[in-house]
Amino acid sequence: MHVVIAEDAALLREGLTRLLEDRGHVVSAAVPDGDALLAAVAEHRPDVAVVDIRMPPTHTDEGLRAALKLRQDFPGTGVLMFSQYVETSYSAQLLEGGAAGVGYLLKDRVANVAEFSAALERVAGGGTALDPEVVSQLFRASRQRGGLATLTPRERQVLALMAEGRSNAGIAAELVVSGGAVEKHVASIFAKLGLPPGESDNRRVLAVLRYLGG
Amino acid sequence: MEEEIRRVAGIVLTAPLARRTRRELLYCGLGGLAGVAGFGVTLVLLVAGLTVSASVLGTVVGLLLLTLALRLSRRIGSLHRRLGNRLLGQHVETPPRFQPGTGILGRLDRRLRDRAAWRSVWYNLVKLPVSALQLYAVVIAACGLYDLADPMIWLFSQQYRGRGPGSLAVWQPLPFGGDFTVHSWLATVPAALLGAASLVAAAWAVRGISAADRALVRGLLGPRTMAERVSELERTRTLAVEDAAAALRRVERDLHDGAQMRLAALAMNLGMAREKLEDPDSETVKELIDAAHRNAVDALADLRDLARGIHPPVLDAGLASALASLATSSAIPASVTADIATRPAPAIETIAYFCAAELIANATKHSYANEIKINIHTERGSVLRLVISDDGVGGADVSRGSGLSGLVQRVSTVDGRLDVSSPGGGPTTVTVELPLHA
Repeated sequence: MHVVIAEDAALLREGLTRLLEDRGHVVSAAVPDGDALLAAVAEHRPDVAVVDIRMPPTHTDEGLRAALKLRQDFPGTGVLMFSQYVETSYSAQLLEGGAAGVGYLLKDRVANVAEFSAALERVAGGGTALDPEVVSQLFRASRQRGGLATLTPRERQVLALMAEGRSNAGIAAELVVSGGAVEKHVASIFAKLGLPPGESDNRRVLAVLRYLGG
Repeated sequence: MEEEIRRVAGIVLTAPLARRTRRELLYCGLGGLAGVAGFGVTLVLLVAGLTVSASVLGTVVGLLLLTLALRLSRRIGSLHRRLGNRLLGQHVETPPRFQPGTGILGRLDRRLRDRAAWRSVWYNLVKLPVSALQLYAVVIAACGLYDLADPMIWLFSQQYRGRGPGSLAVWQPLPFGGDFTVHSWLATVPAALLGAASLVAAAWAVRGISAADRALVRGLLGPRTMAERVSELERTRTLAVEDAAAALRRVERDLHDGAQMRLAALAMNLGMAREKLEDPDSETVKELIDAAHRNAVDALADLRDLARGIHPPVLDAGLASALASLATSSAIPASVTADIATRPAPAIETIAYFCAAELIANATKHSYANEIKINIHTERGSVLRLVISDDGVGGADVSRGSGLSGLVQRVSTVDGRLDVSSPGGGPTTVTVELPLHA
C-alpha cells in the first residue's frame, strides 16, 4: 500500500512513517502542511493519505480543507483524517461526498497498531473507518434529529460498528455473538431504515449515511 | 516651646538640603520652560484657529488648526503630568485615551469634544503665571548658589593667581536694587549669607509653587468626569476579556502541540513495541520502549511548564520569593531587592510576576545586558511598584514589541501603568505600577 502522510509534528510524522514501513507499506512522502500534501498526492498518487487536521500556517483546519480538495481531485485516493479532536462539523463535511474511502480517527488510536493499520487499509480499499468517538458524536447529533428512534439498543450498537467500517464478521467478533445474529440485526436495520435489498455493501453505506446524516 | 522653635527653624533652614527640594527645583525648571512653550503654542494655534474659522472661507483650515491645538495640548498636558508624577512623586492617572471616530466628520467631532484635551488647553493657559513663578524660583536658587560660592571663588583666585580677584559680583535675586560688587574677602561673607538666605527662600518658594501646580495638574490633567472613567473601564474590561481568551487559546495550543502530541507518540511507540514483543528481535523493542519513555518524560516536562505558566506554585510563597526564583533561572545574572509591606491581592501578584518574567525574557533576548536588577516594593500602602532595569543596549519600544504592548494591556486591566525608559545605547528601565488590590 502506498501512503502519503501530512502531519506538522515531526515526532508523529516520523513515528507514523516508521510504523507503516514496519508493516510493509510504502510511505511515498511525509509532509508538514496542506499544500505540500496536495503536491505529494499529485506526484505519487498513493492509495491513501493520512492527514492531520491542524497544520500550519493557521493551525485551524488546513488539513480538512486539503482533504476535501483531495476527495474532489483524486477520488481514487482514500483519506484518513488524523486528529487530536473530533468535531462533528468536520466529519459531516468529510462525509458529505459519501463515506467511501474516508476515515476519521483520533490520534489515540495509533496505540493499537493492528487496528490502526487495518483501518488504514480499509480506507485505502474504498471502505470507511470512523473513530468510535466520531460515530458516537454523530449518533448524538442524529438522535437529536430523531432519525434512529425505531432501532433497538443492540441494533444501534451494530449500526455504530458498521459506521466504523467493520464487516459482519468484525462486528460479530466485537460483540461476541454469532455471525448469523449479526446478519439478522443488519437485515432488521435495513428494513427499519427502509433500504431495499440489493447489493449489500451499497446498502451498508446507505444505512451508515442515513444514520450519520440523520 | 524653645525646643519647638528650634525644631521648626531646623526644618526651615535645612530645606535646601532636602532631596525633595532638588526634585521640586528640577520640576520648576523643566516645568517652567515647558509651561512657557506650551502656553505659546496653545495660544497661537487657538487664536489662529478661532480667527480663521470665524471667516466663512477659512472654516476648514480653522477647524484643522483647532484640532491641532487640541492634540498638541493633550500631548503637552501629558508631558506635564509625567513630569509631576516622576519628579513630585504624585500619582495622577492618565485620562482615557482618545477614541477616534469614524469618517472625517466623526473624527473631527470626537476631537472637538475631547474633554481631556480641552482641560489640557486650560492648563496650558493657566500655567503661564505659574511658569513665571517657577522660573523665578529657579533664578533665586541659582543666585543663591553663586553667592554662596563667593568666598570660595575669592580663595581659589588667591590660591591660583596669587592675588584676589579685586572685585566680585554679588547677584541678588530681587527684581529691583540691581547687583552689587564686593572688594575684599571679608565682604564676601555677608554675600554668602545672602546666598544662603536666597537658597532657603528658593526652597520654600518651589515648595509652595509645586503644591499649587500639583493641584492644577490633578484638577486639569487627570481623568475627571464619570463618563471618562466609565469609558476607560469599558476599554480595560475589553482588554481583560481578550487577555483571558488569549491565555486560554495559548494553553490549548501548548497542550495540542506539546503534551498531547508527545502522549500520542508515546502511545504509538508502545503500540509498536507490543506488536514486536513476540519478535525475537529484542533490540527493536528496547529501542521503541526507549523512545516511548522519552516521550513520557518530555510530556511530563511539557505539562509541568504549562501548569507553571498557568499559575506558578512558587507565587503562593509571595512575590519576593517568586521573583527570587525567577532571577535564579535567568540567563543573565539578576538580583532582586524587595520591600513589600502589605501583601497584594493574588491577581496583582500574578500580573506582577508575569510582567517580571516577560521583561526578564525580553532583556535576555534583546538587551545584551550583563546584569538585570529587579526591585519590588510597596508605596504609600496602596501601590506596588516593580522596577526592572538592565545595563544593555536599550531601544525597547512599547509601540513596536508586541510583548511589551501586551504587558501594557494586561497592566491596564487593573488600572496599573507601565513606563519604559530605554534610550538607544541603554540602559533600559521598565517601571510597572499596580494597585495593591484589583
